[in-house]
Amino acid sequence: MVNALPVSRVLLLCASFLAPQEVRAEWLAEWEAELWHVRRAGNGHAGRKQPSSREPEGKPYAAVRRRRLAIAFCLGAFPDALWLRRNGRRQAPHFIFYAGSAPRCGLGLVIVAAASMLLCCCLPGARKSLLPLPYRDAASLAIISSGGYSASQLPGVRLSDYQSWRTNGGSVFQEVAFYRPAAASVRIADRPETLTIARASQNLFALLNLPSAGSGDLHTSRLMLSYQAWQRLFPGGSDVTGRVVEIAGQPVSIAGVLPQNFWRLPGRMDGWMLEREQGLDALPPNSKGFVLARLRISPLAGGSDGWRSIIVTRSGGEIDRFTCLSLARQSRQPFSIFLFTLFLACVALPATTPLPLGDYPEHGVRLPRSIRARRWIFLAAKFALVAPTVFFCSADLAYGVSAPGSPASFYIQFASSFIGLLFAFRWTLRDQRKRCPVCLRLLSNPARVGQASRNFLAWNGTELICAKGHGLLHIPELTTSWCGAQRWLYLDASWRGLFSDGYVPAGGAI
Amino acid sequence: MPVEPKLSHTAAMILQAIHAGQIYGFSVMEMTGLPSGTVYPAMRRLERDGLIVSKWEQASIAEAEQRPPRKYYKLTRTGRATLELIYRRYPLLEKMIPSSPARKA
Repeated sequence: MVNALPVSRVLLLCASFLAPQEVRAEWLAEWEAELWHVRRAGNGHAGRKQPSSREPEGKPYAAVRRRRLAIAFCLGAFPDALWLRRNGRRQAPHFIFYAGSAPRCGLGLVIVAAASMLLCCCLPGARKSLLPLPYRDAASLAIISSGGYSASQLPGVRLSDYQSWRTNGGSVFQEVAFYRPAAASVRIADRPETLTIARASQNLFALLNLPSAGSGDLHTSRLMLSYQAWQRLFPGGSDVTGRVVEIAGQPVSIAGVLPQNFWRLPGRMDGWMLEREQGLDALPPNSKGFVLARLRISPLAGGSDGWRSIIVTRSGGEIDRFTCLSLARQSRQPFSIFLFTLFLACVALPATTPLPLGDYPEHGVRLPRSIRARRWIFLAAKFALVAPTVFFCSADLAYGVSAPGSPASFYIQFASSFIGLLFAFRWTLRDQRKRCPVCLRLLSNPARVGQASRNFLAWNGTELICAKGHGLLHIPELTTSWCGAQRWLYLDASWRGLFSDGYVPAGGAI
Repeated sequence: MPVEPKLSHTAAMILQAIHAGQIYGFSVMEMTGLPSGTVYPAMRRLERDGLIVSKWEQASIAEAEQRPPRKYYKLTRTGRATLELIYRRYPLLEKMIPSSPARKA
């Protein structure tokens, strides 16, 4: 005698091949679990009705009855699997999750914008470039360089020029400070290290309003450590202040540690050896370094847009030009670049895609004001989301791979921001044109209509349709005098029955 | 305002059976006397239309009882509202498959 269980299971397995593959395993698990209970009921464990008095009793008959019950149950799996195959969609998704719906598009844009902003916060260079400067009165602080804006990251000012401005520049500069980065061998507790140490004038950190760095014995050289160097050389050590280290054989006491992210001036240093002017005088006069100055007149005043030019006439009649660039302007560089590229992208946009969104005739159908407003709000929201996304992405790219303020970061941000904005705006307009003006879902089912050879006799182009039956979009193949732009055709309510994806009406009773 | 849905008597019976506490496919079959080939596709359709939802019971419960885990069904809020409207169309439905007093409340 054939055992009922294998036959039932074979039937279920056969039926499972009719079910869609993505739900097959779950479907089979449900039927097998139910079969277990059917068998149990056949054994009389559940409240299944017992055989009637007319049915023969006894073990063989009970076994036959159980088998019949299980097989009959499993035969029902075939129509169930067929139903699933014919109606692959298991459950109508919420309207937000419809492919191409406006909320889904908005959600996607918000996620991308948030991800780009998060990445910006994670990349130290990008984060630093977007944060405001930690220096008080940064508008009157300026970095002086010899080769214009792009050279401000390179040491280009001679020590002799700094000394000249210090003594004779009183009409322009309130105060000037000098620093010159160089690799130096440092001995810390008999442990030799090679660090990048800047020899700097004693007033450097006083100019940046870091008073603790200016205190102490002003007659000896002192060392300020960067936060990263402190972490590396004295991990967790809180008693570094006052310790003496040897720099190039000269004993120097540590004056303190700079706060994290405090240093935003050109150059990447492990420490700053603050020296008296006599110490700096020992350097060759042609040694080049950076000069930080506090200006008597803000460089932003008088329409100078944050920079000034200084002309120095040498003894031989030679002329040197220096650029005096405000730190405030440098800190605004990412935003300034973005605004400029935004302007350029707006100017260039009509060259890449038509600006009109198409014809939406109002005769016949008068849409409520809220629906019309929703369409424009959606467009504005897309613009408002793609712009910051491009800004953060370009900042990630520029300041993630190159130092803030460097020429490379300038060009990378400029190029990426312009290209990003142009394509983002282009996508925004094209996406809006492909949406239903009523439900804002993406149109689907494109169909070619007409023939290209009959363009002057009949209409030729592509038609798209709203999946909810709000209308049809005609996109002409060629722009003609009678059909210059894509045109929307509203469908009236009599069409809705064809597009309804809601509950099945009377004819479709289960 | 809810529109009265057009459910067949069979679908209405299944909906009422689930409401009455028969939350598994086989128990719905036992309560209504309908074959599995009718009950399961009907429940799939009711689920697709948002009148019922299905969930798998916890594996730990099934393991404790040494049986495979079952999928159970329950009415959604829409399903309950639909059932209230269906009673007007099939007035004997509630008498055929009475709901438990707790569910009525």
